[in-house]
Amino acid sequence: MKKLINDPFEVVDEMFEGFVKANDQIVRAVGKRSIARVESPIPGKVGIVVGGGSGHLPAFAGYVGKGMADGAAFGNIFASPPAKPIVEATVAVNSGAGVMYTYGNYQGDCINFDSAQEQCREMGIKVDSVVLNDDVLSSPKSEAEKRRGIGGLFLVWHVAGAKAEQLASLEDVVAVTRKANNNTRTVGVGLTSCTVPANGQPTFNLPDDEMEIGLGIHGEPGIKRVKLRPIDSVVDEMMESILADLDYVGQDVALLVNGLGGSPAEELYVVYRRVAQICEANKINIRFKHVGEQVTALEMAGTSISLMRLDTEMHDLIKNSVVQTCMYTKR
Amino acid sequence: MADVTGKKLVQILEHVAKKIEANKDFLCELDGIVGDGDHGVSMTIGMRGVARAVKKLPDDVLPEEVFRVAAEAYAEDVGATIGPLYETAFNAAARVSSKKNRLNSISDWLEIYDAMAESIKTLGQAELGDKTMIDSFIPAVEHLKQLSLSSDSLESALTSTGEVALSFAISTKDLIPKKGRAARLGERAAGHQDAGATSLAIVLQAFAEGVSES
Repeated sequence: MKKLINDPFEVVDEMFEGFVKANDQIVRAVGKRSIARVESPIPGKVGIVVGGGSGHLPAFAGYVGKGMADGAAFGNIFASPPAKPIVEATVAVNSGAGVMYTYGNYQGDCINFDSAQEQCREMGIKVDSVVLNDDVLSSPKSEAEKRRGIGGLFLVWHVAGAKAEQLASLEDVVAVTRKANNNTRTVGVGLTSCTVPANGQPTFNLPDDEMEIGLGIHGEPGIKRVKLRPIDSVVDEMMESILADLDYVGQDVALLVNGLGGSPAEELYVVYRRVAQICEANKINIRFKHVGEQVTALEMAGTSISLMRLDTEMHDLIKNSVVQTCMYTKR
Repeated sequence: MADVTGKKLVQILEHVAKKIEANKDFLCELDGIVGDGDHGVSMTIGMRGVARAVKKLPDDVLPEEVFRVAAEAYAEDVGATIGPLYETAFNAAARVSSKKNRLNSISDWLEIYDAMAESIKTLGQAELGDKTMIDSFIPAVEHLKQLSLSSDSLESALTSTGEVALSFAISTKDLIPKKGRAARLGERAAGHQDAGATSLAIVLQAFAEGVSES
């Protein structure tokens, strides 16, 4: 294990300290592992609280700032935060207009966010949650509610954040976020494993000449291992899975080609080239696009492709919004 | 004969933490086959937190307070799925130990194990056979229940209960997961021993060792 760390068990606390100091113009710490925008609570605005395990930056805390999230809770590496930091972030961002939680569909996150929601409701704070499940290959379509949340959150949160910035009601912010999630699909492919610092060993072994299709962002096994092959044919297969799951043909879409942490931007552009060709062939209109590392899995090499189908409301929200967060600024 | 006061319980939990940490890599390896490979890390972080917190308690602390502090510390340091599960289990142990000065009888520990297992089952909404912690814990409770009718010593009863838990943890190999991250793998996870059932067995073994150490 070669990492820029001290004690492997102190990584998250030390990272948190550095993160807050480096982003002190945008966020402040509101607990040992919770942050909120410096200006929160913002009068009249629904607060958006995100969170999840560490190891995925910029997701999730990197999106706290204007146009996306108001607060975030940090968990250990690849482990949901406990309820406490989620409650701290909720209290800090609550202006009275209510708070929305939005996070990926994992058992740990669901348990802890639900527990925080219950505690905050008891305090009299209006809270609702939207759980994201865009990972096509993590469960069949008939059991879509079991799917994991992965890279698609980056697109969904553009829509959610933009709606909240317009001072829409909690009900409306929740509704548009659900709609965005329902229209988003992601497929990922991993080329290497990753190492949880306190574990010290790679999470799994992937032979040098193989890749895993459908691999999760914590190294959960995907649907199959295949021999390494030219990326165009891999992208073809990934896009085939996405397009088979939801009808994107002839639609307006927002698109993310995401890096998992260990693949250079050059390679992501090679991926994007093929994705753009496929979209063109299927008359899919790319209205918003981003290529880069957003939802990562430590130093795992690989990529994920996310497509979000846009209706007029979502299109206008994502096109016209201003996003300036700790780790991402929209062009 | 064992004399399990609150202070002794603190030492027992410190022993649990040490034993879990010694098994960290093994637990991660089990979890890495079907999940994200961090179970040994989560358990280590949680039990380290527990050991650190209970150590600060005064010598005359009651067992229920030790369990309550353990619940809080585990939850705060871990999160994930396992955090709330151990939190609820330690809280259940605190509840049934209420007002007791000592936990010296098999029936004291039967109550504790039974309450812990039930609380985990309820929160995790898991059934026997779903390939979870429950699959080693419930058979262990049943075993201890049988022993509570005999005249076994507490030490030997808890020791054999730990062994039963471990053997049932090993036989989770034959089960197909229904809960947790492993559930997404379905059949692919068959043949692999469940990490949560295994760490639970290690905890029960460590309890037995801790109680037996004088």
